[in-house]
Amino acid sequence: MKKIDVEICFGTTCFVLGGSHLQELENSLDNDLKEKINIIPQNCLGLCKNENYSQAPYVKVNGQIIDRATIEKVINKIKCEINE
Amino acid sequence: MVLAPSMNKSLFIDISCSQIWKTNQNTCGDVFLSKRFPKERRVIAVLSDGLGSGIKANILGQMTATMLLRYVEQGRDIEKAAEVIMDTLPICRVRKISYSTFTVVDCHENGSVVIVEEGNPGFVWMRNGVHMEAEPEIIVSKKFSTRKMHRYKINMLPDDRLIFCSDGVTQAGLGSPRLKGGWQRSGLIEYSKTLLLDNPELTSKELARRITLAATYKCMDNFVKDDTSTAVLHVRTPRSVLVFTGPPFHMERDNEHSQRFIQFPGQKVICGGTTANIVSRELNRKKETTMASGDLPGISVMEGVDLVSEGILTLTRVLEYLENPPSKEIRDAAVSLASIFMENDCISFMVGAKMNQAYYDPEWPIELEIRKTVVRRIANILEEKYLKKVEIEFV
Repeated sequence: MKKIDVEICFGTTCFVLGGSHLQELENSLDNDLKEKINIIPQNCLGLCKNENYSQAPYVKVNGQIIDRATIEKVINKIKCEINE
Repeated sequence: MVLAPSMNKSLFIDISCSQIWKTNQNTCGDVFLSKRFPKERRVIAVLSDGLGSGIKANILGQMTATMLLRYVEQGRDIEKAAEVIMDTLPICRVRKISYSTFTVVDCHENGSVVIVEEGNPGFVWMRNGVHMEAEPEIIVSKKFSTRKMHRYKINMLPDDRLIFCSDGVTQAGLGSPRLKGGWQRSGLIEYSKTLLLDNPELTSKELARRITLAATYKCMDNFVKDDTSTAVLHVRTPRSVLVFTGPPFHMERDNEHSQRFIQFPGQKVICGGTTANIVSRELNRKKETTMASGDLPGISVMEGVDLVSEGILTLTRVLEYLENPPSKEIRDAAVSLASIFMENDCISFMVGAKMNQAYYDPEWPIELEIRKTVVRRIANILEEKYLKKVEIEFV
């Protein structure tokens, strides 16, 4: 099974508005989930500059944008992707 | 600070001083002051040794060094200024010697140097691991027949070094079984020769530090009997770094600025995620980002670029580190960037003038300054405290 890409934005806006907590994502996952995902840190996804997306921090799970991302929201999205 | 894009190619004067105080004293009686005059391409430095030790010596040394520097700053002839000070310094009633000794150095970036010494140990001039002797002209004080200034006019070549010290260095270990007459100037010359042959790339800061430390190791029972200061002046081809931070104002010129950045003949740093994305896109170079560590975002890796970091948070932290170097070992992007600044002589900033709309978010922390303010503050401290040459260009 292809791993799920989880891109975390560590650009300034995302980092300041809560994204710094997302560096703990990997530690919050159980081993089963860890094996199924591929965490990709990004220096900036560029979403905060788009007026349509003004809710940093951002994470992309398999290319799908999560705004106001928290570890809980990201884990839920990963689980949805696995179940699909 | 020069607001111009070109970084000149002349020689750079790397100057630094290292001091260890006399044991049990709470301040240093040796005073080192230096000032860079970018327009005149010149550096003036003074090392003054105040009589005795502690606060009294410090005040005497400060007075002498400050007066000398001010005289020269005001455009007065360095030899005349030194002569006035020599004739003016009072004599200690008890010891019958003058209140402070000094060395003044006036160095131009073309390598021409005037050195005036009064009472301090003779300077050491090193070229390719060989000690060069210079002939002094002796000027006797008009007021005090016992006071003599040594004046030297020399021409330094690229990579020559001058080492100045207080007598705490040459007299280190005086009276000990091993070094009855102290380390002496000959010991300093031999040590410097060995050190420079083994480490020809040593910065002035590191060479000064090692000499001062070596001198204090000569002291018996680790008791440093006198304030011990070493100043090193190194004339060399400048080491340069260019920092590209912030997206350029005109997007259509992104490629031009990216090309200029990557072709810069020195170290290259990108500060900012958007800036990194622009360079990556325009030059078709992949980048990989590492996970954040602690309270700063992580760094990225891009071919041909020495450091790729986040922008405003990292720059703000660099400013903090430059103002107050961290006492404990920290490994983050800001420490890496501060180290790059320390390794280089000429620092250029290419600052993108485009504003990031996200920074107007009401949730944005108010304590975060805008990019150009932080860069200006970094530039000021690099010039004033670390004697670097700094240029800022807004694009």
